Amino acid sequence: MTNQNKPLSGVRVLELGPYVALPLTGRILASLGAEVIKVETNKVLDEMNFIPAWSRGGGQPEFQRGKKRITIDVRTPDGLEVFKELVKVSDVFITNFRRNILDRWGIDFPELRRLRQDIILMWQTGLGGIGPYYTYKSYGILVQHMGGVSLMSGEEGEPPATINTSYSDYHTGVFQPVAIMGALLRRRLTGQPATMESSIFKSGALTAGPAILDYQSTGRVPQRIGNRDPFAAPHGAYQCQGDDRWCAIAIQTEEQWQSFRQVIGNPDWCSEDAFSTMEFRLANQDRLDTLVGEWAATRTAEDVMTQLQDAGVPASVVSQGQDLYESEHLKARGFYQPTPYYLADRSNPAYEWEQFEGIAAANPPKMSESPMDFGSYSNIGEDNDYVFKEILGMSQAEVDRLAKNQSLY
Amino acid sequence: MSFQAPADGVLLPPYRILDLTGPEGVFCGKLLADYGAEVIKVEPPAGDPARQRPPFIGDEPGLERSSYFLFYNTNKRSVTVDIESPEGQDLFKKLAASADVIIESFSVGYMKYLGLDFDSLKTNNPGLIMASITPFGQTGPWKDYKSTDLISLAASGFMQITGDPDGPPLRQGNEQSHFPGSQHAVTAIMGALLYRDLQDGQGQYIDVSMQEAMITYYTDAHPALAWMQRGENVTRVGTNSTLVIPLGAYPSKDGWISAGIITPREWENLSNWMYEVTGNEEILNDDYKGGNQDRAPYNDIITALVIDFTTRFTSEELFHQGQERNLVFIPVNTVSDLLNDPQLEASNFWFDLDHAEVGTLKYPLGVFDSDEVTPVTKPAPYLGQDNDSIYGDLGIGESELAALRTGGVI
Repeated sequence: MTNQNKPLSGVRVLELGPYVALPLTGRILASLGAEVIKVETNKVLDEMNFIPAWSRGGGQPEFQRGKKRITIDVRTPDGLEVFKELVKVSDVFITNFRRNILDRWGIDFPELRRLRQDIILMWQTGLGGIGPYYTYKSYGILVQHMGGVSLMSGEEGEPPATINTSYSDYHTGVFQPVAIMGALLRRRLTGQPATMESSIFKSGALTAGPAILDYQSTGRVPQRIGNRDPFAAPHGAYQCQGDDRWCAIAIQTEEQWQSFRQVIGNPDWCSEDAFSTMEFRLANQDRLDTLVGEWAATRTAEDVMTQLQDAGVPASVVSQGQDLYESEHLKARGFYQPTPYYLADRSNPAYEWEQFEGIAAANPPKMSESPMDFGSYSNIGEDNDYVFKEILGMSQAEVDRLAKNQSLY
Repeated sequence: MSFQAPADGVLLPPYRILDLTGPEGVFCGKLLADYGAEVIKVEPPAGDPARQRPPFIGDEPGLERSSYFLFYNTNKRSVTVDIESPEGQDLFKKLAASADVIIESFSVGYMKYLGLDFDSLKTNNPGLIMASITPFGQTGPWKDYKSTDLISLAASGFMQITGDPDGPPLRQGNEQSHFPGSQHAVTAIMGALLYRDLQDGQGQYIDVSMQEAMITYYTDAHPALAWMQRGENVTRVGTNSTLVIPLGAYPSKDGWISAGIITPREWENLSNWMYEVTGNEEILNDDYKGGNQDRAPYNDIITALVIDFTTRFTSEELFHQGQERNLVFIPVNTVSDLLNDPQLEASNFWFDLDHAEVGTLKYPLGVFDSDEVTPVTKPAPYLGQDNDSIYGDLGIGESELAALRTGGVI
């Protein structure tokens, strides 16, 4: 008989915090079978509900699916008491508020540990929970610039090519479940809980590792080199037929270069000494890029990719939304799944929001024996009854009273 | 439970993890090794090609000197084996029988061709967990497509939203394709270990597609949903966001500074400060007030006003003075700034690792700080340094090892 357990069956996680990294951590733990209780308040909605303008809440299913979503205003005395009752019945508490904010609300880690001695604490901030910037407010989409990667992206001599997303958040958000699962294992084996403090700054800075070692040794700082590569040419995105259509090509070996020549019909320039070795191709890549670009410009991006891949040459269309949405490859793998969306309304913060059907990404790892749950997507406050009455055993009258005085709101 | 507890001050039990990955999965093994698993790099007798990769410490080439190799292989052990030879395959099977986890990133079907796929290996090790990290996953019409960092950035659409709207899609620096697939694989591996050891489960196979993993690293831009809902393709926006206005990198007196105004209150603070400094009343225009999306129609005007403001300060001034006004200005750092950053210093981010050949260097280790658990601090392994002890523990005698060595198997 198949084992119906999930990796985190029986583990309860309490989550307090907005944006990307922290909610993503909770969502991954939920996909692995934890019961994740997300504490929010209608009084201050997560700004991610309003981004981007064309479809408020894009990404929210990816960050919130599979959680029990409840409303508590922890800034009220009654709300704080209910929150502390939840701490007592949780294995893990995760938050991304700064210490000065938590202090103001009366949430204090040593006290949480007194309430639940073996609780595992994951405390995430943007810049760091200890150290000189501990009170500093930050946002992941900006902290990515602190990690050193922005100045490695872009064309030579141009401004840093930043990206319209907060990718450092994702580093942190996907790493934290690993630390938490490690701490759960360790607790089971040694009886010891752990308090862990992470930051988006550190996750970003970690990824600059090789450049940090090189700088110490040679004093070199990484330069912006656009789409080029120190070891491969041709290497770039080439414009094809159509509106903003591009195909990336990366030729790393002599074998790939020979295959590439065959695909493009072996024009005379391919036989020039200037392109006879990788070293020469790298030295002459301005002209090489022009010639490859002329070939690509008369074709569709799909044709360029298919012809080159059929010959074993690394190439890909630069995927736009339409390519991803219509991708036969992603469809065959079941990557996008249908999900409801809830359109937030600043003037009507309770959860009777307009609903529409959209899609969301599945969990990338495909696990053969304990598949990660896609999870159902509750709106804010939708699980109040379950959590307050079934888990905490509160009476309907008490829940009503605290809802009315806006503690559980 | 038959598995061992972690050592004092270490997060993970000493799970044995065989790491056969290339660049696609090298960060996966590193994270597990840095937090205490016994990660063994299984290298061909000539060494992982990453050992040949410049730049080298002191610009002196050598198998133990690549900065890339040194960083991505901290805390790992190393054995050599030629898994393409029959003797090497036998040896690898013995090693695999002793492992908790195998991670690999070969072309789809290569391990099966060698007779070393999950189904073959698990017969001698029912608890085995195996994770494959490949550009497009193990199934689907693109599964055999060739890839590189650039191709991964293109296929996932990351490039489509990086760069200037009037220029080409751009590669994000620092080989970002190394991270999403590897990190998702670590979560699944940890999940699989907990499932096996705490939930009475068995071993399992994990398939991670780097394309899918990378798509999930920019979910907030959500291009597939934008196409579905609006029939529009999300594209490049240059140094300034269209998700939040104003947000992006702006020139300062001495370099770059990033800034982001997310809440209505922050806009009020910033516009008042800008007015104090520049005296330009335009910034107080009522049309610009409100939430981060209310300024979308005025992005160009607002960007120009912000630049007029930021260029009057140094980056440091904006970083610290911004905080006094509850505003987020964040420096745009380079690696030398990181090494001097007081915050990283205070949060125990740097570890001096002594390596017999390249000397002592500061390594960034760990994305969390904790009184209870800290990263392990051993440098990257020498090629094959653990052959004798690891193969010896499997019961392979000295004469047999000598024969394997002479035969070029290890």
